[in-house]
Amino acid sequence: MTNAAVHSTPRSGSLFSQDQRTRRRNTAERRFRIYGQAAIGIAMMALVILLASVLGNGLSAFRQTFINMPVTLDADVLDKKGNRDADDLKKVTTIGYSKLLLNSLTQLIEDQGLAIEGLAASDIKDMISDDAAAQVRNRVLANPELIGQTVSLKVLANGRIDGYLKGRVSMESAERDSNVSVNQLRLTDEMMERGLIGKSFNWSFITAADASELRPEAAGLGVAILGSAYMMIVVLVLALPIGVAASIYLEEFAPKNRWTDLIEVNISNLAAVPSIVFGILGLAIFINFAGLPQSAPIVGGLVLTLMTLPTIIISTRAAIKAVPPSIRDAALGIGASKMQTVFHHVLPLAAPGILTGTIIGLAQALGETAPLLLIGMVAFVRDFPAAPPEGLFDPAAALPVQVYNWTQRADPAFVERASGAIIVLLIFLLAMNAVAILLRRKFERRW
Amino acid sequence: MNVMRQTDDTTATAEIKIAAKGVQVYYGDNHAIKDVDVDIADRTVTAFIGPSGCGKSTFLRCLNRMNDTIDICRVEGKITLDGEDIYDKRVDPVQLRAKVGMVFQKPNPFPKSIYDNVAYGPRIHGLARSKAELDEIVEKSLRRAALWGEVKDRLNAPGTGLSGGQQQRLCIARAVATSPEVLLMDEPCSALDPIATAQVEELIDELRSRFAVVIVTHSMQQAARVSRKTAFFHLGNLVEFGETGQIFTNPRDPRTESYITGRIG
Repeated sequence: MTNAAVHSTPRSGSLFSQDQRTRRRNTAERRFRIYGQAAIGIAMMALVILLASVLGNGLSAFRQTFINMPVTLDADVLDKKGNRDADDLKKVTTIGYSKLLLNSLTQLIEDQGLAIEGLAASDIKDMISDDAAAQVRNRVLANPELIGQTVSLKVLANGRIDGYLKGRVSMESAERDSNVSVNQLRLTDEMMERGLIGKSFNWSFITAADASELRPEAAGLGVAILGSAYMMIVVLVLALPIGVAASIYLEEFAPKNRWTDLIEVNISNLAAVPSIVFGILGLAIFINFAGLPQSAPIVGGLVLTLMTLPTIIISTRAAIKAVPPSIRDAALGIGASKMQTVFHHVLPLAAPGILTGTIIGLAQALGETAPLLLIGMVAFVRDFPAAPPEGLFDPAAALPVQVYNWTQRADPAFVERASGAIIVLLIFLLAMNAVAILLRRKFERRW
Repeated sequence: MNVMRQTDDTTATAEIKIAAKGVQVYYGDNHAIKDVDVDIADRTVTAFIGPSGCGKSTFLRCLNRMNDTIDICRVEGKITLDGEDIYDKRVDPVQLRAKVGMVFQKPNPFPKSIYDNVAYGPRIHGLARSKAELDEIVEKSLRRAALWGEVKDRLNAPGTGLSGGQQQRLCIARAVATSPEVLLMDEPCSALDPIATAQVEELIDELRSRFAVVIVTHSMQQAARVSRKTAFFHLGNLVEFGETGQIFTNPRDPRTESYITGRIG
């Protein structure tokens, strides 16, 4: 027999059974984990609901109903003198063009033998959007050679017809709706069967200007996107250098005394000031005092710069503070000046943080609505602003204000347009955040 | 203390490089350094020893005006480098620090390549007129820091990727590259293992032939091994300053004796 090892007996309970304290601690931890998971679950659900509702309502805005029809561009109507002179061509208004479109569509219906009982001429006319005539006119003015030809065009259909194809308008609702008749919908059915009417991708939603209440089918985001882009340029050009310079000065050069403390506190306060207050400030200073034009991206940009500066300063200061002091010591220790230390060593190390803060600030500014309402960017703007820098002083809209604007309108067709605009806005925000992540990766890879 | 190095140098009466007279340092209301007089000889290693918080690092940082970066710090008294008062109004600390290099307690290479780490000083001081000259300075400095052999094939690798001991030698190379006249070392080995420590000590012994080296250390053995002169600080006072051999074998002040025998500290 070998010497079997003799085990001592445990003095304070077995390791295999949990004592009460341990059990309580473990349940507390489990409970905490469940709280956390529940919180994340709720957040994810909210996000899914938000995205589902926005996408569900808005995606249809990117497809629009068009009537595929041959349009006879009658030379007798469009160019009575027959000289193709640009000034003479401009004398023909959209009324002339809408007659042409009506004739062409009536012709098409006859040719195809689409006989709908009781279909009036006004019903046929209202199949086509009021904006279609203007679109055809622009096309002819740009290319006068088309006059006299019969061209096959995709003509923008009326918003109600578009609504019928998207399920917003039904035979029942049409009976109660003075803007659309049951006969028109029957005609639409017939035309769909023959492939004369259908939905296709709606570029003009992204490129065209806003349209009036009566023609939602023509409303686009072009002016709003341009206006927002101009404002972002102004914000970036002003807020980044001013913010970074202020942060560097406060963090590295300024003496620590009562004044700098006061400035610090007030920067934090500014970050918490409601944005509409900045709007009033902008209205008072930039428009009333400095005399800058209303609804202009330059004013919007200036107001948003004021709003973004505290965000950028706070994040930049945090990024600069996070650079280990040993790096500053190292640089100073070999005789670098303060400025060399900051620009050669501190700033490159803080760059990812600064960029992230800046882009978050920009994204915030991009989505800001309230201050823009006060400086008149809520106006209905039909004309595209010119190229910068002059264009910065032209009236323009902004994406979030356009969303606000469209949600105010009565026609249900604007619901999908507003949601579509939100999708565009979200895409811009996602793109900016993606840039932030990429830039951070790029700079951080320098070990 | 059995490894005490004999003071074999015959240039015992070396010229005084830095002379401090009646130096007082205040951190706000806290009187951190009280009336310190020290003469630091050229081409010699001088060690500052003492318990934590005794002011030895503070005093070291006075010698190249690194304390200027601390707002509440106030220095009085007179410190001269080659007879010129370094706290004179006309002195630009940047110029002073090019002459008086510093190596810190924790290795702090820049997050750049090994080459750029060493080349940074010469670049900002305009010491090299051409790329070839700069290459030469970098190689010479790395050789002097006994690091060349280990890194010569990867000069473009990040300096932060080296081991702790290598990083500290890189920092020494960086300090040496600006050809300073004095090298201040603030506990350069406290973050290193014994092997790396031995390498750095060997290096200090070599650097002594060109610079006045001042080293702050916690380890009395280290002070005994590398230095010829030792200053013992206690509670902001310079208690005793003399030949290393004399301080360790025959201290005059009872406080020094208590410290080196391990009774205070």
